[in-house]
This record gives sequence, C-alpha cells and structure tokens, in this order.
Amino acid sequence: MLVVEHLTKVYEDGTIALKDVNFTVEDGEFLVIIGLSGSGKSTLLRCINRLIQPTEGRILWNGVDITQANDAEMRRIRREIGMIFQHFNLVERSSVLTNVLTGRLGYLPSWWSLVNFFPQSEKRRAMQALERVGIADKAHNRADALSGGQKQRVGIARALMQDPKIILADEPVASLDPVLAHSILGYLEKLNQEHDITVLCSLHYLDLVQRYATKVIGLRDGRVVYEGTRENIRNITDEEFKHIYGQEAQRLSVGG
Amino acid sequence: MKDGRQTQHKAWLQALLSLLVPGLGQAVGGAISRGFYIFLTEAVLSGLAVFAAAQRPRYPDYGLSFHAYLQLLGASAALVIFLLALYWLARRVSLRSEFAKTAAGPTFAALSALIAVLVAPRMVDTVLAPEEQKKLFALTALFTAMVVAAIWAWNIYDAAQVRGKAHAPSLTPFYLLLIVGIITLGARIVQINPDKAIREYKDTGVILSRIVWPWKVAFDYKASQLVAEAKVQAPCPPGATPPPVNQPQEGKPWVVVTPTCGELSKRDTKGKLTFGTQLTIRGGGFQPGKKVHILWENPIGNAFTPRGVGPTEIVVGPDGTFSTQLYIPDVTIPSMAQGAQIHTLRVVQRGTAKFTGKLSKAMKLALEKMLESIMMGLMATAAGILLSVPLSFLAARNLMHNIHTTTEGFVGGVLGLVGGAYAGKRLADVLTPLVGGLEKAPVLTFTIYVVLVLGLAIGAYRLLSRALAQAGERLHPTLSLSIGILGMALIGGGVGYALGIGYAHGILGITRGAEAAQAMAHSSGMFGAALGAALAAFWAGRLGANGKIPIGQFIYAAVRLLLNIGRSIEPLIWAIMGVIWVGPGAFAGFIALTIHSVAALGKLYSEAIESIDPGPIEALQATGATRLQTIVYAVVPQVLPPFTAFTLYRWDINVRMSTIIGLVGGGGIGFLLIQWIHQFQYEQAGLAVWLITITVATLDFISANIREKMV
Ligand SMILES: Nc1ncnc2c1ncn2[C@@H]1O[C@H](COP(=O)(O)OP(=O)(O)OP(=O)(O)O)[C@@H](O)[C@H]1O
Ligand SMILES: [Mg+2]
Repeated sequence: MLVVEHLTKVYEDGTIALKDVNFTVEDGEFLVIIGLSGSGKSTLLRCINRLIQPTEGRILWNGVDITQANDAEMRRIRREIGMIFQHFNLVERSSVLTNVLTGRLGYLPSWWSLVNFFPQSEKRRAMQALERVGIADKAHNRADALSGGQKQRVGIARALMQDPKIILADEPVASLDPVLAHSILGYLEKLNQEHDITVLCSLHYLDLVQRYATKVIGLRDGRVVYEGTRENIRNITDEEFKHIYGQEAQRLSVGG
Repeated sequence: MKDGRQTQHKAWLQALLSLLVPGLGQAVGGAISRGFYIFLTEAVLSGLAVFAAAQRPRYPDYGLSFHAYLQLLGASAALVIFLLALYWLARRVSLRSEFAKTAAGPTFAALSALIAVLVAPRMVDTVLAPEEQKKLFALTALFTAMVVAAIWAWNIYDAAQVRGKAHAPSLTPFYLLLIVGIITLGARIVQINPDKAIREYKDTGVILSRIVWPWKVAFDYKASQLVAEAKVQAPCPPGATPPPVNQPQEGKPWVVVTPTCGELSKRDTKGKLTFGTQLTIRGGGFQPGKKVHILWENPIGNAFTPRGVGPTEIVVGPDGTFSTQLYIPDVTIPSMAQGAQIHTLRVVQRGTAKFTGKLSKAMKLALEKMLESIMMGLMATAAGILLSVPLSFLAARNLMHNIHTTTEGFVGGVLGLVGGAYAGKRLADVLTPLVGGLEKAPVLTFTIYVVLVLGLAIGAYRLLSRALAQAGERLHPTLSLSIGILGMALIGGGVGYALGIGYAHGILGITRGAEAAQAMAHSSGMFGAALGAALAAFWAGRLGANGKIPIGQFIYAAVRLLLNIGRSIEPLIWAIMGVIWVGPGAFAGFIALTIHSVAALGKLYSEAIESIDPGPIEALQATGATRLQTIVYAVVPQVLPPFTAFTLYRWDINVRMSTIIGLVGGGGIGFLLIQWIHQFQYEQAGLAVWLITITVATLDFISANIREKMV
C-alpha cells in the first residue's frame, strides 16, 4: 500500500509543482493520474521513488517512509518500484539484453559492474522478461535499432527484472501511435491483473483513462482536484472535466 | 507629420553624437550594446595603433610618431569621406537604371581600391616629412588609420539609422572593416615582411638544402682507396743518411720520390713563400683516368694538402702511372723537434664510395630518439587517460551538482584527512620498531605491515559500526553520525599512512635498498594517508548524503579550476618545469605531456559526459542501481565513442609534441635536433626533421583511419 501525505514539492527556482497532495493506492490498483501539461504529474511520480527529493510530506510504502530512507534503504525500496518512461530512457548504444539486465542492478553487488558481470541466472531471467513482452528475438540488437513500440516493451522488460510490486509509468504511451498505445497499456493491464502489480500511470487521453483505470486522480496546478473510481471516470461530467482541464478544454480521443 | 520631423531631428542628433564619440549616438538611440561595441572597437583599434606608434624607440624602422599618426588619420578620413561622397553621387546619378544600381556597388569597390592604391602613397608624401617617412611601415599604418576612420564614418551613418535595438541596419560593413583592421594591425605587430623573406633566402639556401636532403649521412659508406707512401727527410743537413728511394712494384700502387732529402719551403712574416727543394714524383699501379691526391704528413703525423708548391691533384695516365713535381712545402715543425725529421708524402686515390647497407651512427641515434619520442607520447597518453577519466567524472556538472553532504560529513572528511594521517603516523611509529629488521627481511616487514594494519583496520571498523548500531537508539542521530564519519575517516587515513610506510619499507626496500626506503617512507606514508583518508571521507560523506552542503559543486569547481590551469600552461612550459624537477630527459617530457593531457582530456571528457542523455541515468537510478553501477551502465556506453575520438586526437597531439619537447630538454628527438643545430650539423638535423615529419604524417594517417572506422 502506498500512502502519500501532505506531499509538497517546491523546485529550487521557486516553482511550486505539488501542493499538499494526499492519496492512497491500494495493492493491485491501476491508478491513473490525469492533468494538463505542467500540472505536476511527472513531479509526483518522481517523488515516489525519490528521483526528486520532496520538499515536505511523507510517502509511506508498506509503512516505511520513503522520504526519510537512507541510501541502503532507498536501494531496497527502489528495486520494488519499477518505472517506465515516455521517452523509454534506454541506453541506446547497448544491446537490448544489457538494457533489460540493468533492471536487476538493484539486487547485484556494486563492484560486479566494474567487470561488467551478470550471472547466467540473471541472463535467463532477462530472456524470460523479453519473451513476456514478445521481443526475445531482438535480444542482441542494439537498442537504437528498435522501433518506438519495441523500445517501450524493452522498458517494461527492464522494469519486470526488478520483480516490482508497483510500476510507475510516466506517460508511457505519449510518443506512440494509438494501436501501440493500446498494446503497451494492455501489457500493463495484464501485469496488473495477472501478477498483482500495482500500476501508477499518468495518461493524457481520456478514452485510454476510461478504458484502463481502476482509480483516477486529477491534478491541476499541483493540487488534487479530482478523485474517482472506474465508474466515476467512465461517466465523467463536462463540469468535472472542465474542472480538471480548464474552461477551454475539449475532449479528445485517440481512437482505436 | 510631427512624428516624422521628430525622428528626423533625432537622427541628426544621433549622427552628431556619434561623430563626437563613436557609438554614443547608437546608445542614445536605444541600441546600447551596439554602441558599446562600436566604441570599444574604435578605442581598441586606435589604442593598438598608438601603442604600435609608441614602439618607435624600440623599432626605429617601423615606428611612427603619434603626431604623424593623427595626421594620417585625418587624411584617411578625408579620403574615406571623399569616396563615400563619390558613392552617394553615383547612386544618385544611376537611380533610374536598375542595372546601373546593381553595378554601382562593385564598381565603387573596385574604384575605391584603385584610388586607395594610387592615392595612398601620395598621401604619405604629403602628410609626412621625409625623415618621418623613412620610419614608416607606410601602407600598414595608413590602412589601420583608414580602418579607424572608415568605422568612424560608418558609425555616423549607422547612428542616424538606429531606432532602438530592433530597428538597426546591417552590421556587415562594420565586420568587414574590422577584419581589415585586425589583419593590418596583426601584420604590423608580427612584422610580416615578405620582402625580407625573399632577400635573405639565398643565404639560407645552402643550409636549407643540407637539411632538406640529408640522406648522405643516414648510412655508412666505405670508400675503397689506393694509397702509396714515400719518406722524405727535411731539412737535409750534410752527412745525413736520407731514407732509401722506393722502387716501382707490380700489382700494387707505388710512388717514387727523388731526392729523398731536401730543404723545406719557408714563409716569411709577410706570407711570401721561398721554395725549398723540388721533388720529382712518379707513381704507378693506380686506376687509370682518375685523380690522385697528394698529401703531406709532417713528422708528428698531421696530414694536409700542400698549398702553393705545385699541383696536388693529378690525373692518372692510361697505363696507371703519373708523374709530377712538387716543392717540399713549408711545415711548421713543433719546437721540441730538433734537427732532421722524416716526413711522409702520401698519394691517395679515392674510389667511389660504396654503400655498406649499414645505418650511420647519426641515423641510429636519431631513430633511437625518435622511438623515445613516440613512446613518450604514448605513455603520456596512457597516463593521461588513466588520470583524466576519474577527474572528468568529478568535473561533469550533471553528475556532481546533486551530491550533497551534511556538516558532520564535511567536517569529518576534512578532519579525517589530517587526523587520519596523524593517527597513521603514530601507528607506523609503533609498528616499525616492533617489526624491525628492515635491512634483513624487507618482504617479511611488508607482509607483516599489510596483514597487521589491515587486520587492525577491519577490526576497528567492525567495532565502530557495532558500537554505533547499539548506541544508535540512545545517542542523538547527529552525534552518532559524527562519530561514524570521523571514525571512518580516521581509519582510512591511518591505514593509508601505515600502508604507505609499509610499501616504502617493503617494496622500495627491495628495489632501492634500505636507505632509499627509509628516505621515501615518509612521503609514501603521506600519499597513502591522503588516498586512504579521501576514500574513507568519501564513504563517510555518503552516510550524510541527504545533507545540504553541495560538496559535489565544490569538488566540481575545484577540479575544473585545476584542469583549466593545467591546460592554460603550454606543454613546453610544463616541460621546463619538469626539467627543473627531475632533470633533462624523456621523463621530464613525459611529465609535461601527461599534465597537459590530463587537463585537456579531462575537460573534453567531462564535456562529453555533460552532454549525454540524462534519461538512462534516471532510469537506472530508479531501479535501485548504485552510483557506480549507474556510471558503468548508463554513462560509460554513452561516452565511449566521444572518449575514443578525443583520446586518438590527444595521442596525435602528444606524439607531435613529444618530437619537439626535447627543444627545452624534455628528451626525445627534439633534444637531438636542437643539439645538432647548435653544432651546425645541418645534415644530421635534417635527418631528425625528416624522421619527425614521416612519423607525424604516418600517425596522422593512422589516426584518421581509426577515427573513420570508429564513427
Ligand atoms: N527541474 C525543474 N526545475 C524547476 N521547475 C520544474 C522542474 N521540473 C518541472 N518544473 C515545473 O514544475 C511544474 C510541474 O512539472 P511536471 O513536469 O511535473 O508537469 P507534468 O504534469 O508532468 O507536465 P507534462 O504533461 O508536460 O509532462 C511545471 O510548472 C514545471 O515547469
Ligand atoms: Mg511530465
């Protein structure tokens, strides 16, 4: 269970990106964060695994306060939290297999990396992860030789290597076409339903949100302005919509 | 209407202001930085020119007085204004024809150039007195003055047009004028003088040709030569027994001289020669059709060609014989030698020099030193890589900017550096007499040192962490953190110091003897202490990683500063320092090149690191990877290609530099080159130059090839 309490983030230049954010994510949920560009979605997700240091508030992960964890504890916590990114964040010049293997680094002794050593068992695990996302045949290609959709699947495989209990996904399909978007979100849904991995995902398109989310949080200017269940979001009123996205907003769909 | 008049008015005002002070009108018109740069340019150009003029006492041939300069400036301004007026008129006249309009620009440019060339020298005549003219590097000074004047004129026109920052005419004419100005002044300051270069070519021609084609001295030649000798006694006192007369021989070169006893020629104080006895010389058994040389060898064995006493080069007849006559030359006989002396007349016929296929001594030496140079460059590159890679990570802003530490971590680190070293010294003081017997058993000493010290350190570390863990609940977190950090630093520094001493006593004891080991123990200890404490301080700092002190930025700034200093000092200057430090030789050169390589590569590397995609770093951090793992798997793959390119490039530079670093005593072929030049051995110097050229060209080719394959 993930509990976010009074979370506030003020950037060094004074930008208030998050203001007193509170919410709870139950295990097994597919929680989607929506909001305009600049509303603080990325900041929120990055605070959870402390890629960004929160200014105030607590983030409790199964009772442990992430914001107060030291280096060793942080390493243990982070390996339970997978993350996938809008721009995939793969090491383009490395092979697909190596990229997937790096997902396991949190479990391996630091100095092994000096000799670039991964045990055979981990390599097998990486191949299995690639099979799960359906691109095992590309294992030895360089990452920059893949298409966008394939890259995101590598990103998912990398997160799977962590044996994550929760996956943070920051606009995972924003740079993909609609068909691929469904396929990637489909994977996440499968992981969520079959492997009981909690998913925290930010999305732009309302129809995707309605299709996949079990719970929705709306952010506006760093505050939570909407909280709803699957039923709520599927029947969202124009008023609620405008409350999240502003008066001029139009509903858009990605089709598919 | 009113508005238009006001702008008119303003334009005139701005133009007037700029006439008085260049750039002022622009500034008033709203383009402040434009005005500033125009003013700066005029000030600098005039300043430089005046400075050059002030050099007159030092370079009487080139200098020009300030007064004369001002006059020239005025004249030039007049000329420029005249040309501009001409241009304006031309535009006016040709207004109706499109073609004439387009042609006006180029025509005007050509015309101006023509006028400048034709009128400028006249102007110098008019403006300057003849004796002043002699001191004038005429056209250069004139052109500079003209550029200042032209920029001034343009600036007035420009000022009239400026309406604020956004509305300003093109700067192209300004830049063109500036370029002309800089080139003219530059030529003046460097004293570029093609005339001199051509005039003095002839003198250098001979020497140059020896340098350009030095291959004669690259190999050993064996000249087969035919020699025959005859003894002659001189002077010839009565009753002397002269040497016997030679007899012609078969199958061997021979020479017969008669008489074998005679008087020396004499030279009086005025240099006039009085001939002595004339000798008849016949010889045979030589190669027909070729010359023989006659040499005279005095009693103490110095041979020379006798001058002014008869022919000394005779062509051998078809049957291999020759004959000639020669007066006994004047010979200064050493004062100790008394009475009659036996001289030797030698006939030598040199055959064609035969190529032996062996390298000459000079060539061998040059090759050896060339190798030394190449190795120096290679080693410096290798050492440069090793040292600059870690430094470059410390000098990369994106890796360092978010490293923080707590006050305790920082203070603990600093204290650890000092206190750790002290603790280590005490430890070493206690240990050394305990272990003892350095002279007898260095290996044992070293082993015991390592085992004992590491054992103690691990024990101390365990104890400390356990004690802290147990006390953790009761102690204030800050206090426990402080103790932990300081303790770690102390352990690190102490171990480092003791191990440094152990290294000196052990390894150095074996390789250099006990005495040297003793002498170097302290410095090794300090070095070890610094390393150990730094390491411990680093780990300690990590304990306080969530602090507020941006230690990463401090380190970044410090390393950057060091790199910048290292790079701003040229390798040749580093080499001079190296020579002072370790004495002349390849090692000094190596030090110089290494320092410069570290600084240069460190900067290039760190910039490569700074420009990488931060995405993968973030992704790896998110998986729980440590800093080291993140660097190995997210940073290294991204920086490998640029690192390789930079390294190759540096290798190239280093080998180039290594060939000339010897000029200041840094070893390698440059050392040889400068020596040979000082000894006027131009062929040998030529060899060195050729070898350097060949090496550098080859290297160029190779590294270009590798680089091409890499990318
Ligand atoms: N490193 C930073 N320094 C200062 N301000 C930042 C930084 N990163 C983000 N911000 C600001 O914080 C606010 C929230 O940004 P954030 O990236 O979290 O928004 P977002 O909802 O993810 O937007 P998008 O949909 O465009 O990705 C924005 O106003 C942004 O300008
Ligand atoms: Mg975002």
